Amino acid sequence: MKNKYFRRLKRLKPRGIQSTIMLAFSVISFSIMLILGTVMYIRFSALSRQEIIQSTQKLMEQTGDNLEDYLLSMRRISDAVYYNVVKENDFSSQNKDIQKGMNLLYEANRDNLRSIAIYNSYGSLIAAEPVALQKEDPDVTRQEWYKGAMNKMENMYFSTPHIQNLFYDGTYRYYWVISLSRVVEITDNRESKTGVLLVDMDYSGISRMLNQINTLNNGQYYYLCDSNGKIIYHLRQMQISDGIFSENSEVAAKYKDGVYDETFDGERRKVIVNTISYTGWKLVGVIPYSTFTDGMINMRYFIAMIMLLMAMMLVFINRVVSVRISRPILKLNDSVMEYEAGEKPEIYIGGFLEIRHLGYSIQRSYEQIDTLMKKIVLEQNERRKSELDALQSQINPHFLYNALDSITWMVEGERNDDAVFMISQLAKLFRISLSKGRTVITIKDELQHAESYMNIQKVRYKNAFSIIFDVESSIYSYCTVKLILQPILENAINYGVSSMDDCGEIKVIGREEDGIVTLSVEDNGIGMSEEEVSFLLTDSNRVPKHGSGIGLVNVNNRIQILFGKEYGISVKSEPDEGTTVSIRIPAVPYTEDNRKSLEKGYIFWQERKER
Amino acid sequence: MKNGKKSFILIEVILAALVIVLSFVMVRGRSGKDFDKISVIIENSDDNQWSALKYGIKMAAKDQGVEVFFSSTAGDFTAGKLKNTIENELNNGADAIIVQPVSAPGIEKLLKKMEKKIPIMLVENNVEENKDSCVFSVTQADNYAMGIALAEELLKDYSGNIEGKTLGIISKSEHSEAARNRELGFKDGIKRTGARVGWSVSDFSGKEKENFLANQSKVNIVIALDDDSLTTAGEYAASNNFHGAFVYGIGNSTEAIHYLDIGILECLLVPDEFSVGYQSLTEISKRLKCYFYKMQSKMVSYDIIRREELFSKENQEILFTMSQ
Repeated sequence: MKNKYFRRLKRLKPRGIQSTIMLAFSVISFSIMLILGTVMYIRFSALSRQEIIQSTQKLMEQTGDNLEDYLLSMRRISDAVYYNVVKENDFSSQNKDIQKGMNLLYEANRDNLRSIAIYNSYGSLIAAEPVALQKEDPDVTRQEWYKGAMNKMENMYFSTPHIQNLFYDGTYRYYWVISLSRVVEITDNRESKTGVLLVDMDYSGISRMLNQINTLNNGQYYYLCDSNGKIIYHLRQMQISDGIFSENSEVAAKYKDGVYDETFDGERRKVIVNTISYTGWKLVGVIPYSTFTDGMINMRYFIAMIMLLMAMMLVFINRVVSVRISRPILKLNDSVMEYEAGEKPEIYIGGFLEIRHLGYSIQRSYEQIDTLMKKIVLEQNERRKSELDALQSQINPHFLYNALDSITWMVEGERNDDAVFMISQLAKLFRISLSKGRTVITIKDELQHAESYMNIQKVRYKNAFSIIFDVESSIYSYCTVKLILQPILENAINYGVSSMDDCGEIKVIGREEDGIVTLSVEDNGIGMSEEEVSFLLTDSNRVPKHGSGIGLVNVNNRIQILFGKEYGISVKSEPDEGTTVSIRIPAVPYTEDNRKSLEKGYIFWQERKER
Repeated sequence: MKNGKKSFILIEVILAALVIVLSFVMVRGRSGKDFDKISVIIENSDDNQWSALKYGIKMAAKDQGVEVFFSSTAGDFTAGKLKNTIENELNNGADAIIVQPVSAPGIEKLLKKMEKKIPIMLVENNVEENKDSCVFSVTQADNYAMGIALAEELLKDYSGNIEGKTLGIISKSEHSEAARNRELGFKDGIKRTGARVGWSVSDFSGKEKENFLANQSKVNIVIALDDDSLTTAGEYAASNNFHGAFVYGIGNSTEAIHYLDIGILECLLVPDEFSVGYQSLTEISKRLKCYFYKMQSKMVSYDIIRREELFSKENQEILFTMSQ
C-alpha cells in the first residue's frame, strides 16, 4: 500500500532541474503566502469583530442614555403634575387651577405625551389633559397600569406598550402608549384621598428612537424588553406574535449588562445587554455570527486579490530565478546529450563558476576520451593488421611449393614455354602480393593477382576448369583490400570445381551500383547446404580440408576493418548447383590519401570522408 | 523547456483570469446590489382599512430585502384604471406586482398578459376564471368560512333561534369573488333557521351610501360583509340607529373597531390583513429570488372580536397593526 503511494509520488516527481527548482520555490513561497494570508485574515476578522461589538456597545449605551433621558423626562412630568399641581390644590375648589397646571405641562411635552389623567381610588376620572370624551365604562381598575400603580404604592410603575383604552377623540384612532402610573395623594374638600396619576407616553417616541438604530440590513438588530422578557419594542414584533419569528427575550432579560454568546434557533450570535435604569428594561443588541462573516466578505476579497497578485508575481519571479539557475546546467546537459547522440558539438561553458568548471572538465574528459579512442582503434587495427599479415604470409610457402613443383615437372618434361609462363605468372603474383607492403591496392591489381593465381592453378589442375573474368573496366581504379579474391578462388577450386571433369567453370564478375562495388565469384561446383553456408562466415576455427586455410572469415574481417561493418562478404549456395561469393566494398577512387586513410581503419576513413 | 514555458504561461493566464473575475465581483459588490422592486396596487390605497395589510407588506419587505412601492389609487377600480396603474408600475421599473383585482370583464385576460412579463400575486380577491385554471396565486382570507362564522356568531347571540327575524345584507360589490363567497357562507350559515333576508344591497358609492340605506325597509339585523359596508352601516347606525337593528359585520379598519368599541356593532370579524400582506410579499419575493419557484396561494385566518374582549392582549395586537 505504502509502496503504491511512493510509486505514485515518484511518477509525480518532476524530472527537470528547472521544474524542480520552480516547484520547490513555488511550494515554499505559496505556503508562506497562505500562512500569511490566513494569519492576516484571522487577525483582521478578530479586530473587525471586536470593532463591531464595541461600536454596538457604544450605540447601545447612547440609545440607553436617550431612553433613560426620555423616561426621566416622563417621570419629571409625573413629579411636576403631582408636586406642583395635585398636591398644591384642592380638587373641590381649585379644579380650574389643576386643569390649567396639567394643561401647561401637557402642552410643553405634547410631542411625547398622549395624555395625563388623574383617577380616584374607585377608578373614576377626576381630571384629564387633553380634555376628551371618556369612554362609557373603561373600568380603569382592571387595567394593568392602574393595578401596577396600586401594587407599587411608593414607586412609579411603567407598563409595557398597550392600546390606550380611556378616551374618544373622534378620529377613530387607537393609540399605542406606555403608561407611567403612580399612586398620588389628592385633596378633595380638604380631605386627603388616594388616587392614581397616569402619564401616557406616546409609544412612537420610543419606537422612533429604536427604529433609528435598527437601520442596518446585515442581520444585526436591537430590541427592548422588560425585566420579565416581555417585548416592549422589536423590529419584528408582529412576526413574533404570529409565530413567524421568535426571540430569546426571556433569557436575555436575566442577563446582566455585558456581552454574551448564545445559540438560538440554531444560530450562533453575540448578545449585548444594557439595562435601562429605574425601569429594569433591557436594551438588547443581537449580532448574528453571519453578520461578522458578511462584514468580512470585502476583506476576504481583498486578501484573495492580494494573494492572487502575489501568486502571479511569485510565479514570474520563480520562473526567472529557476531559468537563470538552470539554464547553464540545461545547456551543458544539452551539449553532453548531443555528444552522446554521436554529434561533435562544443561542450557548453558558461553560467556560474561551478558550472563553467564542470563544462571545462567534461570538455577535457571528452577530448581525452576521443584521443584515447583513436589510439585504441589505431592500436587495435595495427594488431589485427599484423595478425592478417601473418595470415597472408601463410599462403606463400604452400602455394609456392605447389607452383615450383609444377615448374619443376614442366622443366623436366621440357615444356619450357609453359615453365616460362608459370614463372612469369608467379612473378606477377608475388609482385602484387608484396605491393610495397600496402594493404589497399586497385581492383585492377587485385584482378591481375587473381588472374595470375588462376593461371598457375589451371596449370596445376591441367585445365580441369575454366575461368571467366566479367568485370566492368570502370571499377578498375577503385580501392580494394589486397588478396581478397585469391582465397575465394582457392575455395571455389578446392571445394567447387576440382572434383569435376573438365566442366568446372568459375566466373569473376565486377560491377558498380550506387557507389557500391560488388565482386562476385561464381562456380558451378557441388555447392553447399545452408548450414555449411552459415558456418563459412562465423566459424573461424574450422580446420580446412584443402587449401591454404585462409577462410572467408578472414577476408570478411579484413574488408570490415578497412571499410566498416556494412561491407563484407555474402555467400549464396545451392547443393549441386554452385556457389556465389560476393564481396561488397565502397567505390573509393584509388588515391594516395584514400589509401592511407583506409589503411588506418574505417573510423579514420569516415572521419576524412566527413571532412 | 518548452513544456515549462507552456505551463508558466498557462498558470499566469489562469491567475490573471482569476484576478479579473475577482475584480469584477469586488466592483459589483461595491456598486451594491439593486433591490427588487415590488409594487402594490390596492383599491383606494390610502384607505384606513389597508393599514394592517401595508404594515405586513412593509415588514415582509424588510425581512426579504426588497423595495416596496404602494401605488396611489383613489376611488373605485375599473378594468381600465387597473390596466393603466399596472402599466405605470411596469414603466416605473416594478419587478413584481401585488394586486387586488377588480371584478370586471377582461381583467383576467389583462392579468394573464401582464403575468407573462412579471410575477403577479393577487390579494384579497380572486378572479373568477382563475379558480379552476389556477394561473395566479392568491393570498386572501377564507371568505366562505368568514361568512359561516359570522352566521354562527349571530346565532350564538340569539341562542340559535333567529326564526322570523329579517336580515339586511350590505356588500360593496356583489360581483367580487370574495363578496360572493362571504355572502354564500353567511347564507349557508343561516339556512333553515327561519330567518328571512329582507334586503340585500351592493354596489353603492360616494354620497349615495346614506340614502341607499335610508331607503331600505326596517330589519332586525344588518349584516355588513366588507369593511366599506361595515363603516357605512356603522356610520348610519350611529346617526340613525338603523331603526333598532343590530349590526354584525366583517371589517379591518380602526373605524370598524371604533363602532364595535362604542357598541354600535355587536360582533366584528377581522381578517388577518397583516398576514395577507406579509405572506403575499414573502411569496412573490421568493419567486423573484428563484425563477423556478412556484408561488403558492395562501389562505389566512380571521379573528372574531366582541366588545368585551376588544382590549385583550391578542386583539391589541390586531389593533396595533391597524394603527400603523
